[in-house]
Amino acid sequence: MLRAAVPVTDPLRQPVDLDLFQGPFDLLLTLVLREEVDLFELPLAELVVAALGGEGEGRWDPATTSELVVILAALAEVKARRMLGEPDEDEPDPDAEEARERLAHRLVAYEPFRRAAAWLAEREAAAAGPRYRSVPLETPPAPAPRDDAAELVAAMGRLLGARPEPSLVHMGVRRIALPELIVRLREALARARRVSFDEMVAGRDRLEEGLLLIATLELARRGEARLSQAEPFGDILIARR
Amino acid sequence: MTELARRLEALLFLSPDPLPLDALAELTEAAPDAVTGALAELAGRHGPDTGLEVVEIAGGMALRTRAEMAEVCDRLRERPPEDRLSPAAMETLAVVAYLEPVSRPEIGRLRGVSVDATVASLVDRGLLEEAGRAERGGALLYRTTRAFQARFGLRGAGDLPPLERFELTGPEAEAVRRRLSEAGHLPASEGPRPVEGAPAPVPDG
Repeated sequence: MLRAAVPVTDPLRQPVDLDLFQGPFDLLLTLVLREEVDLFELPLAELVVAALGGEGEGRWDPATTSELVVILAALAEVKARRMLGEPDEDEPDPDAEEARERLAHRLVAYEPFRRAAAWLAEREAAAAGPRYRSVPLETPPAPAPRDDAAELVAAMGRLLGARPEPSLVHMGVRRIALPELIVRLREALARARRVSFDEMVAGRDRLEEGLLLIATLELARRGEARLSQAEPFGDILIARR
Repeated sequence: MTELARRLEALLFLSPDPLPLDALAELTEAAPDAVTGALAELAGRHGPDTGLEVVEIAGGMALRTRAEMAEVCDRLRERPPEDRLSPAAMETLAVVAYLEPVSRPEIGRLRGVSVDATVASLVDRGLLEEAGRAERGGALLYRTTRAFQARFGLRGAGDLPPLERFELTGPEAEAVRRRLSEAGHLPASEGPRPVEGAPAPVPDG
């Protein structure tokens, strides 16, 4: 598909569309050079925002900012006089004259770059047609593989061989059921009227000790045993009822 | 074709980048003058009735397809999506191309608007690159790249018309001053213009 040629336009013949202008000089030059546009229509607020606000882009160095403020003030002054009228004065205000002259100087200095940009756009359109080779230079061939088939087979054998089942010895699972512990407690109580909790759990691990406590409490809840403890953390005496 | 022209053709065909004259001379072990002559001979072989052309671009020589071949070439190889440059980007490029190396504050002062984002996007696109720091103030300087030269069909850095060619003529510059001056004065025939948003005068009675 042919690249659409960028239209090379004379900015003076384009309609004024604020979106097309990205700098105050850009717009101002167009308006000033198009004699049919009244500067009364100058969208001053947009110019100020474009120049100083500008979507929070970057920071200004003080020299640039102060210079811009002067330019924008001159613009504001020009427009204010256009809107409100200027009193008849024998002598024009020298400050106003100077501000306008500075503004005119800046505009005249900037215009060559605007025209150069239009020239570049023209060049870009003209340079859009030709195509260049874009394939990379050939890369050197990869080194020839070593043709040691036996070694390859051995390597694949190691890779594909069945792996030994991992040992799970260290992950032994213990199952202790609460009903069994309750049965064990009942049997102990059947042999003796009262038993010591400490004696029941002697040599057992913490899990079993915990579960036996639950079993003891369960028996007490069912009314089969009475519990007594002389002091906190002391031995619990389990008595048959 | 001479042997040297054949060799140059082979090199230009093979190289994905433009080849500078001295590189061609070194590769072919020929004198630069002889290379120039052989390049002219080669360019003559790839005349307007062929599909290729020999050009000087972006600091070197290249063998490329002619502009008229774009359509058929793009059937073979899809072009990357078009990368249009905004007017702000074009004007920033123009400023840098003429004043390089130049710092962002300088560009901004000239354009009358902050150019940080525009310059950053042009660096991302490979059209501008950093070129050291300014002696005074130490601001980063920027210059155009070979990709810039290739995109705009320039033979090398500084292959631009003199800036004076684009300056306003005396009467044009005078017109700018006159318009700005007139803008501050009412035309004799008009009274004061209403201020936007001001209440309309109440008619008497």
